[in-house]
Amino acid sequence: MDKQVIQSVGFRNIEENGEVVGFQLKIRLPYYRGVYLSQIRPGHLIVDGESFGADEIMWRVNGEDFTYADMRKDCTRHWHPMEPATLIVKKPGGLKQGFHDLTYGFCCTHSYMPPFMEALEDPDKPAVIYFREFGQNTNSRRLLIV
Amino acid sequence: MYRNTNAGPKRGVALYSYSAEFGFEKTLEDCFEDIHDMGATGVEILANTHIENYPYPTDAWVNYWFSLCDKYQVEPVEYGHWIDCRVLQDRLLSTEEAVARLEQDLRLAHRLGFKVLRTKMSVIDDALNPVENWREIIKGALPLAERLGLTMCPEIHIPTNLKSQMIQDYIDFINETGTKSFGLNIDFSVFRHKFDEGEFVDPHFVPNEPEDIIPLIPYIYCCHAKFIHMNDDFEETTIPYKEVLMALRDNGYNGYLLSEYEGADKYDQGYEVGQTLRKHHIMMKNILGY
Repeated sequence: MDKQVIQSVGFRNIEENGEVVGFQLKIRLPYYRGVYLSQIRPGHLIVDGESFGADEIMWRVNGEDFTYADMRKDCTRHWHPMEPATLIVKKPGGLKQGFHDLTYGFCCTHSYMPPFMEALEDPDKPAVIYFREFGQNTNSRRLLIV
Repeated sequence: MYRNTNAGPKRGVALYSYSAEFGFEKTLEDCFEDIHDMGATGVEILANTHIENYPYPTDAWVNYWFSLCDKYQVEPVEYGHWIDCRVLQDRLLSTEEAVARLEQDLRLAHRLGFKVLRTKMSVIDDALNPVENWREIIKGALPLAERLGLTMCPEIHIPTNLKSQMIQDYIDFINETGTKSFGLNIDFSVFRHKFDEGEFVDPHFVPNEPEDIIPLIPYIYCCHAKFIHMNDDFEETTIPYKEVLMALRDNGYNGYLLSEYEGADKYDQGYEVGQTLRKHHIMMKNILGY
């Protein structure tokens, strides 16, 4: 596992029945504790300037797939900091060979901190109140597709 | 299983200290060996972080957990967990839902050999006051906790003062219920009286004096031996450690002092928190004499 949130391993196009239908990447949870899926506040994935919203991204956690609608109400499945999640995005033809600039934003709720702190945070923007042990909301990386 | 039955405060480590290195430079076993190196005999885990496949670890992992405790003569001291009442973003959990989740953690703590839990309450304001139904949530879980011989302890942390109404409310609850399954974890940040220039400090925070802990000792099951700055002469420069440890030792405290290092510099490239923890244990060993 890489220390960076966006992992170098796991970034590739996805084929179904011989056709490229989309792409995937892996992210780790940069928080010092694991979270239930309903605690996650996903923002946008930006790939070379193209934006994908939370509803367009399927999360794979511990081998199970979740839409954002599923995740919002799932407070029993847990995402562990040592187990990167896979983000799966539909995009006919996938991403072309070469470098891609990826930016993804997400944050989490934490009931033991004052509620106003959560209200300040926008998953698509750098943290307003930044704790290193909470990780940064937005993370970027330039990675290659073969 | 190994248990340290000596009288007086005992030395342990909160694995939270390793949060920058855990899963990268350090495995769970590395942390246990580090603790053993320090002559410490107890450990606190964060359930959501240090238990593989939490909240449903396999029996194989549980056996591995006990094998580490046995190999390094380290006992499970405190099970760190949260009552996340805002786990769903559109509403608060009901009391019944919160109790059910709390009971899940109680069973898991018991399965792993813990007797004390650091039960982190959900808060409603900047003063860290707990949710209004905290009494009902705790009362709902007391029968199971009492049956399993477990004690749930909220963590009392800066900016809270030990003489505040919040603490009095917890004490009143314990006295009214007569329970041994609810108590306190005191984090030594409440004694912190020095801050870095420009560092944010809650304007309402009033540091406690070491003797303020004495009347609370009957209710304390665990302490977070929080430390901020250890110098190379093995002194903590922001908290009156000697006075706090003496107050605990001389007044019958037999629980653990769990080293907890929260400094953000532990995330710096190449930082080794194990060395910082060793400094802290040199200090505590010299003060306690063991």
